[in-house]
Amino acid sequence: MKRHRRQLFTGLPLLLVATVVTGYLHRRHAGALPGYAFLTGWVLLAAMLVLTFYNVWKKLPFLPFGRSEFWLQLHLYLGYFTVVLFLVHLNFRPPRGVFEIVLAALFTFVSASGVVGILLSRVLPRRLATRGGEVIYEKIPALRVACRTQAEALAVGPDSQSVVIGEFYLHRLADFFARPRNFWWHLAESRRPVAALLRELEDVQRTGSEAERVALAKLAELVRQKDGLDYHRSVQLSLKLWLFVHIPLTYGLLVFTALHLALVYGFSGGAR
Amino acid sequence: MNSPNSAPQFDAHNYARPNQKWTCGHACEGRACRSGPDAWGRCQATSECRPVLETKPGETKGRWRCTRTEGACDEGPLPDGTCCRPIPKCAPVPTLRVWRGRITVGVVCLSSALLLLLTGHPVWRNRFINPGPVSRVHSSTAFTSRALTNGAAGNCAACHIAGDRGPDGILQAALQARPGMLELGELIRQPAGHPTGMDTACLRCHGGRNFHQPTAPLVSCSVCHAEHQGRVMAAAQDQNCGFCHANSATMTVARRPAVIHHFATDHPEFRFRTDQLADPDTLRFNHALHLTGATMPRLPGGSKLDCASCHQPDATGAYMRPVKFADHCRVCHSLQFDPDTSQLQLPHGSAGFVSAFLRSLSKQYADLAAREHPADVTTFVQQKLAGLRATVGSGEELERRVFFSSSVAGPEARIGSLSGATRAIFPGCAYCHEVKAAAPGNAIITPPVQTERWLGRARFNHAKHTGVECAQCHDARHSQATADILLPGRAACVVCHSPAGGVRDACSECHTYHQPPQIAAR
Amino acid sequence: MSAPAIILERPQRWDAAFDPALTEADVDRLLATAPFNAMQPLAFPKRTPLREILRNDAKLHRFRRGEIIVRQGDYGSSAFLILNGATRVVLKPDLPPALLGRHAPVRKGLFRTLAQFWNGRRPPESFARSRLQASAGLGARVADQETRVFLQDLPRVLNAHRTEQMTAGDFFGEIAALSRMPRTSTIFADSDTAELLEIRWQGLRDLMKYDDALRRHINRIYRERALASYLRATPLFRHLDKERLDRVAEAVEFATFGDYDWSGDYKRLAQAGAVRPEKEPGIVVEGDYPNGVVLLRAGFARVSQKTGGGERTLNYIGAGQIFGLREIAHNWREKNRPVNFQFSLRAIGYTHLLIVPTRVMEEIVLPSLPARELPPLWPAAELSAEEPPPELARREQVGAEILEFLTENRFFNGTASMVIDLDRCTRCDDCVRACAATHDNNPRFLRHGPSAGGIMIANACMHCADPVCMIGCPTGAIHRESFAGQVVINPITCIGCKSCANNCPYDAIRMVEIRDQSGELMVDQEMRPITKATKCDLCVENHGGPACERSCPHGALTRMNLNQLDELSRWLGK
Repeated sequence: MKRHRRQLFTGLPLLLVATVVTGYLHRRHAGALPGYAFLTGWVLLAAMLVLTFYNVWKKLPFLPFGRSEFWLQLHLYLGYFTVVLFLVHLNFRPPRGVFEIVLAALFTFVSASGVVGILLSRVLPRRLATRGGEVIYEKIPALRVACRTQAEALAVGPDSQSVVIGEFYLHRLADFFARPRNFWWHLAESRRPVAALLRELEDVQRTGSEAERVALAKLAELVRQKDGLDYHRSVQLSLKLWLFVHIPLTYGLLVFTALHLALVYGFSGGAR
Repeated sequence: MNSPNSAPQFDAHNYARPNQKWTCGHACEGRACRSGPDAWGRCQATSECRPVLETKPGETKGRWRCTRTEGACDEGPLPDGTCCRPIPKCAPVPTLRVWRGRITVGVVCLSSALLLLLTGHPVWRNRFINPGPVSRVHSSTAFTSRALTNGAAGNCAACHIAGDRGPDGILQAALQARPGMLELGELIRQPAGHPTGMDTACLRCHGGRNFHQPTAPLVSCSVCHAEHQGRVMAAAQDQNCGFCHANSATMTVARRPAVIHHFATDHPEFRFRTDQLADPDTLRFNHALHLTGATMPRLPGGSKLDCASCHQPDATGAYMRPVKFADHCRVCHSLQFDPDTSQLQLPHGSAGFVSAFLRSLSKQYADLAAREHPADVTTFVQQKLAGLRATVGSGEELERRVFFSSSVAGPEARIGSLSGATRAIFPGCAYCHEVKAAAPGNAIITPPVQTERWLGRARFNHAKHTGVECAQCHDARHSQATADILLPGRAACVVCHSPAGGVRDACSECHTYHQPPQIAAR
Repeated sequence: MSAPAIILERPQRWDAAFDPALTEADVDRLLATAPFNAMQPLAFPKRTPLREILRNDAKLHRFRRGEIIVRQGDYGSSAFLILNGATRVVLKPDLPPALLGRHAPVRKGLFRTLAQFWNGRRPPESFARSRLQASAGLGARVADQETRVFLQDLPRVLNAHRTEQMTAGDFFGEIAALSRMPRTSTIFADSDTAELLEIRWQGLRDLMKYDDALRRHINRIYRERALASYLRATPLFRHLDKERLDRVAEAVEFATFGDYDWSGDYKRLAQAGAVRPEKEPGIVVEGDYPNGVVLLRAGFARVSQKTGGGERTLNYIGAGQIFGLREIAHNWREKNRPVNFQFSLRAIGYTHLLIVPTRVMEEIVLPSLPARELPPLWPAAELSAEEPPPELARREQVGAEILEFLTENRFFNGTASMVIDLDRCTRCDDCVRACAATHDNNPRFLRHGPSAGGIMIANACMHCADPVCMIGCPTGAIHRESFAGQVVINPITCIGCKSCANNCPYDAIRMVEIRDQSGELMVDQEMRPITKATKCDLCVENHGGPACERSCPHGALTRMNLNQLDELSRWLGK
């Protein structure tokens, strides 16, 4: 949509300009300035702190510090730019020491998880809107239990009279209804498992009596409903889970950065 | 639910509160209780109602009445006024965000603990925090012993004050660093290349900074010499030199107008060329004649004269040995002053010796006779001297001719001859040398000077250039005068030493910053 | 046993009487009193006889001295007739907001803003008990299952404010009822035996229609009190001087359309599919002679066009918008090539409108307009074309699906609807958390609601143009914020009667059981939980605008005026 493209049109040129300017400064000053690594390091640290501040900002929604949308855009483009800063700070050479390799790896993981996260955040909502029925994540367990209760009542409850359905439920459906299923299938946008289940259900249905057929049709509907819930759970959970990497590693990275700072200062200028 | 896209129905009469950290443990069964857990995750459920005590007028005891919202329950409150339907306590469930927070705290704690452990352990620490291999020199046992003799520790602490310390020591050292962590302005303000504390450590073993220019600013060792970059310490980079030499302002102050970025682009022409220097040597030598002269005799082996006949590399192959008369000239240029006596030769090297030799000619002849014709010494000597006297006249005349004759000028008669296919016979010192008359009867020969290196500020290694013909750089075939300096200009070097030529063109290829290294031993 | 199929017909207005307790005797008594005794029952049509109007659309109230009948700023859909006793209207100065059950929302100061740092763990909707007991000179009593609020210190009020007594036979509140304008003044009972007849707008409209005296009376006061100022604020008339504006006001006709309210039957109708354009009462029918310009004063109307089988909706217009100007301006300039109305205008539910007759337009209004403000002529090609003209092309930008969706659900009522772009929303609930953080740890909306075409209208208060929730609040707790007009609830005076929550057709108001500061649910003497109505207040007390919108990281959520499609079409950016 247009309004989002507008952000792209301001963010990308800014990023490019910043990158070019940084490249120019790097060519001019790298190697010649002894404090260069310190300066790039501090700029990098400042950028990382601003990036981390987005997490803090989110916890203070009551302060009138502008819109989160703006801050996310800043977070994104500054994030990309921080990768450039990081490479400049590294002088485009891979680190060699154990600690520095771990530090760089942490940075890479944080950046990569961020990129994955924004990709997921842009791609998955479209899918959520088209399938499964809109549902609030926290309500899914309760809805799933409701589904299961209905299905059990239908298949093995006191009112059900069909042994066939009961058998089929116990063998094929009980496990399906018991807990979230097919996380990866749903994430891969594949309906194969539920299609297989529904096919089996149809097979039973074909040979069943009129009453059985009605019950099985209802059961199929419940299967679809449960599948929709699973789908939403998978996708919504993925939209949340990437942050489980991004945020903890960010703070871990800051701890490592603190030691890096102490080491750099303690070991470089400290021989006096 | 009819279409797979319609939202499942659920209780929309209550707010969903994902902001709360804990959810009721019964919520996943769809039976969340009204009160819900508190902010610390404690279940607050009590009972379905709180009965109210009703006392009718006149009654003393009163009656407990059920106040359940869904309508009074059948059983009614217990006699003591408590509800008969307690809500089973649940184990409140933390939300995903709580888990995320826990993981975050966990990662922070784990990282901190790990780092403390690793930096606290004396052996693991150094392996862990070492940012890269130390150069071979600085990790050798020789280094350790020298550091110890110079009063420093033999390990990381030889250079780093925090080297041998635990986490607290590192932090302390970091806080004491100058410029300090918060003195960011210093990083920008302080002159570039400002010496750091680390230099003190370097200077313990390395003698004072020997700069190629006394005016060069004091620069930290680490500007050019980066340690922990591998087993071999890399040479200084062009940027390091360019820091001054590519900076026109600095160079203006230093009154060196040339601003140099790269050898190929803006390195000035070599000084001997720009200053149009000439070889000051007084020895007359015609390279062209020797290399191309039609009348040049062959060497004893039958080969023609070439560069290598006279110019031979030294032991390292970097430079050429000086040309020596005895080794290279004498083979053709004999010192035989008496055309009839080939056995007797003038001494070379000192005018005084020559004078003395000539003044004691009879003795020389006598010695020769004693060696060759011991029977008839006197006659032999008389005969020889008479022969000389016949051509020269007197001893003084002979000495004058020996010193001052050349093949083209000098006293009218030559004492020797140059023609013929045989070795040249001595034509007189002045043939090659500059001979000056001094006190009567004495001559002074200006000692020849062979300038060893014309490019005084640069290194050159002939051994690395063996693939190149000598003539490609040294245009000897066309040089007739001694004054010619037979070195190529910059352009000849640039042919190869440039990005286009593909051969390295870093400053450090030719130039050395410091004076020859001195290792100070206290 | 087969149950008879339930056929949901459009409900008759009188399916549910306004006052079920009204007896035949009461009606007889009413028919014998003024002004009903002067009305001609024969003038009323058979379908809506006078007696039935009174029986079904009227309600008897008895007030004691000091009890508030209507509050300044309230919205109401009914008028009052004093049968017995006296009432008093407060003229100047206005009663302070506290006496009206309101509190002027104050933006949080620095301390209250910062206090939200450490209030995160407070139980939701917790109140200090002392805060709830504070009452500003108001008392309450329950009468006839209704809560009456009375002014405790009446003498002081009478002393400090200029008031005027109204006595039996006086009408009040009729303009607010018909035009959905806020009540202009506060009126309270002045005798212990005040008896008032409340007539809802449908009844009032019918009474006006068939009784000349009442119509003249209401028209007169309408013109006197409300019309001139409204017309003056209308851009169309801004070039007129006072004298000519008075002539326009004199000629303006007004009408109220529609059968049902938002609050009552609408939802049921919509769900039963009974709401169809063809069935809605037509204000203007396509092809009619343009006899006047329609100014929509309140409510909403649908602009539609005939197609092969039926009608298709092109747009809807809300309060303040004008219909038919282009046709009339065309005819005025192109007298030899007149056009008829090109579209139909149909009332959606309750609609109140003004009609400026063509003659007045041509004589007074159109000559005053500069040429560039006149709408374009109808080119001959466009008259025969199937495509809608550009100003209605918003429909194409928004898309038929969303337009139908908004119309079906009446979402165009919202001035600050929460619209979520589902293609962009990551369901992160940042909006909900932000709302909770700024509102006593209780999110004031549900991030869920009807959706279509990739957008969702979340279950949050839309701050309706026509806030039916405000009709019938006994304590005045729900009110429009005086400056920007947000609909807010004063939790201190809210008595948890649910009338607003039941009135809201969008389920945007929720009753929440409140707690004390230790997290214990508060109960009354009967041990019943105390509830308060809560809803979105558009962060009227916070700095920086609605927290939900500000906190959306992906720009997926916005608060938007859906009265017009411009904002939506811009936002969708298609």
